[in-house]
Amino acid sequence: MASHGLSYEGCNFLRQRLVLSTLSGKRVKIKSIRSKDDEPGLRDFEASFIRLLDKVTNGSRIEINQTGTVLVYQPGLLYGGTVEHDCNPQRSIGYYLEALLMLGPFMKTPLKATLRGVTNDPTDPTVDLLKSAALPVMKNFGIDGEGFDLKVLKRGMAPGGGGEVVFTCPVRRTIRPVQLTEPGKIKRIRGVAYSVRVSPQMANRIVESARSILNKFLPDIYIYTDHMKGANSGKSPGFGLTLVAETLSGSFLSAEMSSTPQGQGDPILPEDLGRNCAKLLLEEIYRGGCVDSSNQSLALLLMTLGQQDVSKVLLGPLSPYTIEFLRHIRDFFQLMFKIEIQKPLEDERKGGDKVLMTCVGVGYSNINKTVK
Amino acid sequence: GYDSEEEEQVCVISLFLSTGALKWKEGLQQKATEAFLRHQEAAPNLRKQVYGSVVEADDSEEDNEEEELGGLFRVSRPQKSKKVQANALDCSHFNPDTSHNWDLEEMLNSIRDCFVTGTWEEGQDAA
Repeated sequence: MASHGLSYEGCNFLRQRLVLSTLSGKRVKIKSIRSKDDEPGLRDFEASFIRLLDKVTNGSRIEINQTGTVLVYQPGLLYGGTVEHDCNPQRSIGYYLEALLMLGPFMKTPLKATLRGVTNDPTDPTVDLLKSAALPVMKNFGIDGEGFDLKVLKRGMAPGGGGEVVFTCPVRRTIRPVQLTEPGKIKRIRGVAYSVRVSPQMANRIVESARSILNKFLPDIYIYTDHMKGANSGKSPGFGLTLVAETLSGSFLSAEMSSTPQGQGDPILPEDLGRNCAKLLLEEIYRGGCVDSSNQSLALLLMTLGQQDVSKVLLGPLSPYTIEFLRHIRDFFQLMFKIEIQKPLEDERKGGDKVLMTCVGVGYSNINKTVK
Repeated sequence: GYDSEEEEQVCVISLFLSTGALKWKEGLQQKATEAFLRHQEAAPNLRKQVYGSVVEADDSEEDNEEEELGGLFRVSRPQKSKKVQANALDCSHFNPDTSHNWDLEEMLNSIRDCFVTGTWEEGQDAA
């Protein structure tokens, strides 16, 4: 199996395939990338992603055919260290960062990645969302400490970008198994309402309208307003909101919304954005679980790579992206999860069906890490 | 419906005709087993949905073979939903297509107990 690797078709799920290939050391071949499209082959942002992967690894071999419809990736060793990358602005930094979050703990030397580009757009998870929801998920698995941080130095809205973030991640030899089965009750809601190159009043209008909905449930709500100016405000105007609900047992459920990029479709009023984002958070709470919908695959990966012991995590309904991720985990690590549906009790008012995921970790140990 | 009605009548008659022990008691265990299996199939099996079954994988391989007409023409079929998805946008966001209406009091009530302000189960404390 390892000699001729795995083969897939199409450009979808490119990142999870390359990430799992890097972690498992298995070669991967991806065919028919937009082969029926008017412009076939890999896009610039995908090429940019592959270059980033090349920067954090040592000895990776990447072959792409002339039209860019076939990609062969032979992973090297995860090296880490200090990396700088200009992320193609077709996708936001979140697109690139999601992969680095998965690879970071398994580097040879601690990663310090400076990423430049679009920090916030409506398509991908924004850097603010990853900071407030993805990092806490990783902390549950024993990835924490002073060197674990995500800083937004400059904000750059789509389509122009011009933002900058720094992600630092310590290395771990092994990953701790977890038992996250009790989400606990939500004690507070925090958030960031950001605005650049528009009136700072926009952020206040967002906060006002989001609070009007969330205050029906909880008094403890604080939404910071973040208005970056001058050189830190990027190239395009825009605003947005990230909301995070924190439970007593340390689970984080998040939702977010960004303004429509300049020149792409109808503009949105800050009041509508605030209200809609608050409703998205309610939807996320309805789905529930100990890990929110955008970080399901991150949690499942860390469960897979954990020590050889039982891990359990309660999730909301599985997203299509997560379902595909589970299939890929089976391909690369021969691991299948036990999946049980938990229906809510008759008189319970805790949202919809939940899914309990159970697995025994493959006992992955970071051979890249230098022994001191 | 006519046939099944007739069958039912026959069943009823045979119940009356049997002497001694009641006939409906026969094969109870088997009936229970069947009912259980029916229920199992009806409940959505998420694991199957995620990982599929071995039989399905075999089917898809056969589909790849292209049909030829008269050894000259290839039958061109529109791409299947699976193939279309293969080149879709690579994005981890989960956008619900059946979003709930959060303006309704009923919906708001459905998540009340997710908050510390909701009702608590016995044995738990807001410590």
